[in-house]
Amino acid sequence: MTNETMNDTQKLSIGIDLGSRKAKFALLSGTEILRLQDMDTISFYKRYGRIDNDELCLDLLGSGIFSAEELDQARITVTGYGRNSINLHGARVISEIRAHVAGALFQTGLTDFTMLDMGGQDTKVAQVVSGKLADFVMNDKCAASSGRYLENMAAVLEVPLEELSRHAEEPIALDATCGIFGESELIGQILRGHPVSRLCAGVNLTLVKRVMPMLKRFPSKTLVITGGVALNGAMVSLLKEQCRMEVLVPHHPQHNGAIGCAALA
Amino acid sequence: MRRVGFTSTIPLEVLVAAGAVPVDLNNIFITNPQSNDYIEEAELAGFPRNVCGWIKGIYGAVVASGVTEMIAVTEGDCSYTKALMEVLSLQGVRTYPFAYPGGREPELLRAEIEKLMAAFGVGWSEVHAAKARLDAIRLKVKEIDRLTWEENRVTGAENHYYQVCTSDMNGDAEAFEAEVDTFLARAKERTPMQQQLRLAYLGVPPIISGLYQFVETQNARVVFNETQRQFAMPYGCPDLVEQYRAYTYPYDIFHRLADIKKELAARRIDGVIHYVQSFCFRQIEDMVLRRELSLPILTLEGDKPADVDARTKIRVEGFLEMLQERQ
Repeated sequence: MTNETMNDTQKLSIGIDLGSRKAKFALLSGTEILRLQDMDTISFYKRYGRIDNDELCLDLLGSGIFSAEELDQARITVTGYGRNSINLHGARVISEIRAHVAGALFQTGLTDFTMLDMGGQDTKVAQVVSGKLADFVMNDKCAASSGRYLENMAAVLEVPLEELSRHAEEPIALDATCGIFGESELIGQILRGHPVSRLCAGVNLTLVKRVMPMLKRFPSKTLVITGGVALNGAMVSLLKEQCRMEVLVPHHPQHNGAIGCAALA
Repeated sequence: MRRVGFTSTIPLEVLVAAGAVPVDLNNIFITNPQSNDYIEEAELAGFPRNVCGWIKGIYGAVVASGVTEMIAVTEGDCSYTKALMEVLSLQGVRTYPFAYPGGREPELLRAEIEKLMAAFGVGWSEVHAAKARLDAIRLKVKEIDRLTWEENRVTGAENHYYQVCTSDMNGDAEAFEAEVDTFLARAKERTPMQQQLRLAYLGVPPIISGLYQFVETQNARVVFNETQRQFAMPYGCPDLVEQYRAYTYPYDIFHRLADIKKELAARRIDGVIHYVQSFCFRQIEDMVLRRELSLPILTLEGDKPADVDARTKIRVEGFLEMLQERQ
């Protein structure tokens, strides 16, 4: 992209979603997605972040994600955990729910749907009516319905997340309320000799069971699933069986919040 | 002077008539800078982790404050209170049970009040005199509430504070009345506040602090504190039994809802914050509120005393943004 090709309708915009596990970045030109990228949040903060006068300063140029020209021209919008305790210098800060709804509207083109966003720690369910957020719920006090739970369980099973995400058949029932006690429950089931595929399916099903009460509050024709957990195909197929809604996973579920930020810039 | 604690609002008139210093144990707990130590002390004594923080806080407050007599509200509040009463009685605390009748039957309520009067050795004439004294202060606190929602001159936190204090009048009715008078004189002269959104706060008073102040940084203000207003007995009932029948907190959710719906309409509320305490049965009533109220509801859960946390802030901000978009 050169300066000559840019006009008012193709303004550059940058969206940043500072999640608990990953920092996600999106660069848009008008409505075209030019670039999506992500980095581990902790290492990103360690290498490129600092607090100066109560403001979060990110060395975006140093991170190599954006060029000097892009940073100079683009409007930057940011969301993410802790956004209300720190201001990002030079950026507009918006709420996570607003960013994710904007991302889902942008990516799907739908105006009426229920959105399920499952990230590293957060699970949000929002109802969107006529393109506007009508109501939402978020998990509170417990993050056993999150991506971090899946990571922990994959580690216990000694399988990569990609493998965990493949299995939805004949799930072994796992009932522990606590995500940590769930690990020892899983160990007990391993000793019983169940195949790993059925244990993976069991882990995926526990996630579905935990989000179903939140989903039941906001029935719609279509359920849009975003966040990193939406990449878990087995969880999505188990959810399809239970929620009785048409399920849609946008092209870039993990970058949905960053895209939403950029779209609102 | 004789100090008598209580676990939830009781007919304060009886204690005032008896010349005792009333001590709302919730207030002793939550206003103590070391309130978390009370909870830790209760857990060390054996209270489970998954029990309401207020119950554990009250236990700690009784032990720390040296209160030797307390009235336990055994019907109309939670059943944890019964077990708390039993545990404290084993430690030498003299306990008086007080039960709000589930069906709001006037004759049963009168009998409960008279049982309390007998325990404290007072008759109806002293109790009526105490009611007249307390009603004068309640009327002034009602004016603070009116200045909150009708004239926009009082913050949500101030509204909370003055109303919640009426449960025991801070243990010193004269000093509290003077504090109210000073505040009223000041508040009446204020320029009205201009926040865009008007919120209702439903549920028990928050165990977390800073919520009202945070909301006001986001162009919104709480103009209705449901339970705190109930503590202030705003009904103007000349009859004491009728007053404690009109009181909504200890009775069923539908009695509460009638009051809530009336106030939401009168105060032109844009959205509702329903605060629930972790492990409290009132969390279940969230379902009823969501079915019965047409306004958007944000349910917040608190466990232990702390400043409002980042997660709660995120949820409040998202909720307020949504309300602003709807306007």
